[in-house]
Amino acid sequence: MNNLLIWPIAVPLFSALLALLWIRRSTWIGVFGTALSLLVVLLVGRQVVESGPIELALGGWTPGLGIALRADGLSLLMLLMSSLVSMAVAVYASVYFSKAERRGEFWVLWLLLITALHALFLSGDLFNLYVTLELLGLSAVVLACLGGSRESLQAALRYLVMGLLGSMAFLIGVALIYAGYGTLDMAALADAIEAGPAAWLALSLMTGGLLIKSALFPLHFWLPPAHANAPAPVSAVLSALVVKAALYLILRLWLSLFDGVVTQAAAVILGLLGAVAVVWGSWAALQAERLKLMAAYSTVAQLGYLFLFLPLLTALPEGAARDVALGALVLLALTHGFAKSAFFLAAGVIMQRAGHDRIAELGGTARALPVTAFTLALAGVALIGLPPSGSFLAKWHLLSSAFITGQYVWLPVIAVGTLLAGAYIFRLLGYAFAPGEGVGPSLSAGREEIPAVLLALIATLLLGFWASAVWELLPISAYVGGGA
Amino acid sequence: MTQALIYALTGAVLFMLGVRATLLRDTLLPRLLALNVCGAGVFLVFVSLAYRGDSMPTDPVPHALVLTGLVVAISATALALALNRRLREMTDE
Amino acid sequence: MIDLNLTILPDLLLAAMLIGLAWAALSSDDLRRGVVLFIAFGLLLAIVWARLQAPDLALAEAAIGAGLSGALLLVALRDGVAGNETAGKLSRLSRWLVDLFVLIMTCLIGWVLWLTIYAEPVERLAQLANTMLDRSGVSNPVTAVLLNYRAYDTLLELVVVLTAVLGVVVVGRQRRGYRQAGPVFCGLVQWLVPLLVVTAGYLLWVGAHAPGGAFQAGATLAAAGIVLRLAGYDAAGLPDGRLLRWLLVAGTGLFLLIGLGVTLSGGAVLQYPEAWSGSLILLIESAATASIAAALVLAYRGGRPGDWSSAGDRDPNREVST
Repeated sequence: MNNLLIWPIAVPLFSALLALLWIRRSTWIGVFGTALSLLVVLLVGRQVVESGPIELALGGWTPGLGIALRADGLSLLMLLMSSLVSMAVAVYASVYFSKAERRGEFWVLWLLLITALHALFLSGDLFNLYVTLELLGLSAVVLACLGGSRESLQAALRYLVMGLLGSMAFLIGVALIYAGYGTLDMAALADAIEAGPAAWLALSLMTGGLLIKSALFPLHFWLPPAHANAPAPVSAVLSALVVKAALYLILRLWLSLFDGVVTQAAAVILGLLGAVAVVWGSWAALQAERLKLMAAYSTVAQLGYLFLFLPLLTALPEGAARDVALGALVLLALTHGFAKSAFFLAAGVIMQRAGHDRIAELGGTARALPVTAFTLALAGVALIGLPPSGSFLAKWHLLSSAFITGQYVWLPVIAVGTLLAGAYIFRLLGYAFAPGEGVGPSLSAGREEIPAVLLALIATLLLGFWASAVWELLPISAYVGGGA
Repeated sequence: MTQALIYALTGAVLFMLGVRATLLRDTLLPRLLALNVCGAGVFLVFVSLAYRGDSMPTDPVPHALVLTGLVVAISATALALALNRRLREMTDE
Repeated sequence: MIDLNLTILPDLLLAAMLIGLAWAALSSDDLRRGVVLFIAFGLLLAIVWARLQAPDLALAEAAIGAGLSGALLLVALRDGVAGNETAGKLSRLSRWLVDLFVLIMTCLIGWVLWLTIYAEPVERLAQLANTMLDRSGVSNPVTAVLLNYRAYDTLLELVVVLTAVLGVVVVGRQRRGYRQAGPVFCGLVQWLVPLLVVTAGYLLWVGAHAPGGAFQAGATLAAAGIVLRLAGYDAAGLPDGRLLRWLLVAGTGLFLLIGLGVTLSGGAVLQYPEAWSGSLILLIESAATASIAAALVLAYRGGRPGDWSSAGDRDPNREVST
């Protein structure tokens, strides 16, 4: 029993309720609540590092009858990413929404979104995961339509319908699991599930549902309009965190719960879809005329890379090589999270200053907004995968895993994807650093520019130099052997 | 167990009917109906699993899960309808 | 293996009607017809829940699934439907592929369910849940699961309701109300609303040991609000601004505070002291009923209440909406 685990969920939830009650003070409550959430995540982190995975049996009932919260290395890394990114975005949003009509509601929903993310990363129960997925989906949809334009509403509505379909597929998978194994507790299931038609079908349905939510090609179509039309702080968390939540669940299912059930053929199919996503997404990003749309297509491509790891992970025997590949996958996901949120925040700064985000008219950005232009460049380094960013290291290990397993087919994909990413980033930087008047007169950097550059620095420097922490944390697992 | 099987299979059929209509219909309201039918299918699978004959006590856990699912479903439906209404207003303006 | 006898005939009939109604509702091109068929489908489903010995669900389905969903969908028909949000019609080939996919998946799911139901019976949670009932503070096993064993699910579910209703508030303006009803309907309202309120109270109270509980009670209370609105009372029984927000927060807030508060006595989060659990559950359920009812009525009324941020909350930057 460790009641500490409820706090990363209870703090943002309680703050959300307070923000709704004192809606005029919502900005302060929002920023302060986000900061406090970060603090309790750090406390959880310290305990996980010191004493291994933590479990909290809610209500004191044995997990199975009751619901357990669990924190291990993987969930801790996701929690750290989400609370750090949301802290930076919250500081930015306090400026962005300072004059907005729906400011109060933004902060309430913002805190509810953080609640949902944290609850999802900590949940140890399959049905509870369904509830957190719905909470995450609904809060993300409402945040996405705060822009109020027709496009954003239309995108949000499609996002909602696709998300609900994904949840339903996930839920029928959960029903099949309960039918076959009589429990919903993930630690018990990790021991119990064995290969067979029930496990295979349940995994396919749950994965299918999650693939819609993580926008893997060809289920990506809802993502670019939803992410590109949302207000900038919302786009940042949608692209950086919300799609990662579905990916986190896919990893949990494939590597912890169903590790004996997953077949190489299925993993190769997902890898191939990931490969198409890398090439198609990067190509679409290169064609995009608007900065935020480019960032959204880039998210489709970057998510593709993460799926390239799956066939490699299933082909590698359990041991050091597989641990290295898994660490690289998580590192890539984290780097993308920080880099893409930095990118969207920078895009938001430009959009507010220039009144548009047409890439071809961004001349003069570097002179008017040097910090923001620098942020774009730094985040670009991480999105391409240049050293010293975390994604450079991750792609390096992706390549080496492809060599080890003899799956050479992924090599050209990685090469083409990286070249295309280089092309769309340098195309953008070419315009941004060119002389021009597209952005307006020079103004001092303020509270709105700093969070983005910090996020970009985490992506390029911190995750590059301290990447070993990822590999040290991941073996602390609550599901395979360990604390279960 | 035959009753349980009948309703479980019905649940599977309803679920896929809902999926089909969600994918094939192109306006919001029919798609929402479809998603709700989809949900009803899943709920039916859960509840048929809980049923263990008229003489045995049923399993209360799936019943509670379905109750939770029902409330989540109506929340999502209400949100989707509100978005739809706003879109419609914007089209008219 | 299947004992084909006449006792399963009613089940087969119910199942066939469910599928038939669902098919008719989903393939109807006339929206109104589709919605009405869907409501009928919900009512039939309530009968199926009763048949499968799930009376709690039968109540909830009739009130929420068929009743309130139906009310929301019917009122949405007035709004019309926003245009085509998918990119163009699907080609004949892709329609055919979808049908094939649906057929294959139905067979696969059906096959797995068949295998599971006729496999050696899995000991699921039924026995454990029923054995622990003495320690849960209530004697209705479904309420025990919802508010004790899996109380955390229910807490998050209240958060889902809150999120959705905030979404409704954020996106739109309040719907225009109805004209004041005539004397006959007003007379009806005068005894229908108190009846619904009393029924809600009864469902809430009885949930501890018989079918019923916060959700059914909340839905019934919401029905009273909808009746009021139909009779021309624009507020539909909801209070103004700040009080309304307190009402929406009450369920989640009290649940969370109690869940955390019980740790002071040394237990885990949400581990009610055994002697108190009955009363605490009733307290949580009462607040949840109020919040659910308020949320559902607000969702039906639609849009941002004019006095959402009361005068004291208004700030000069906020646009004035008319």
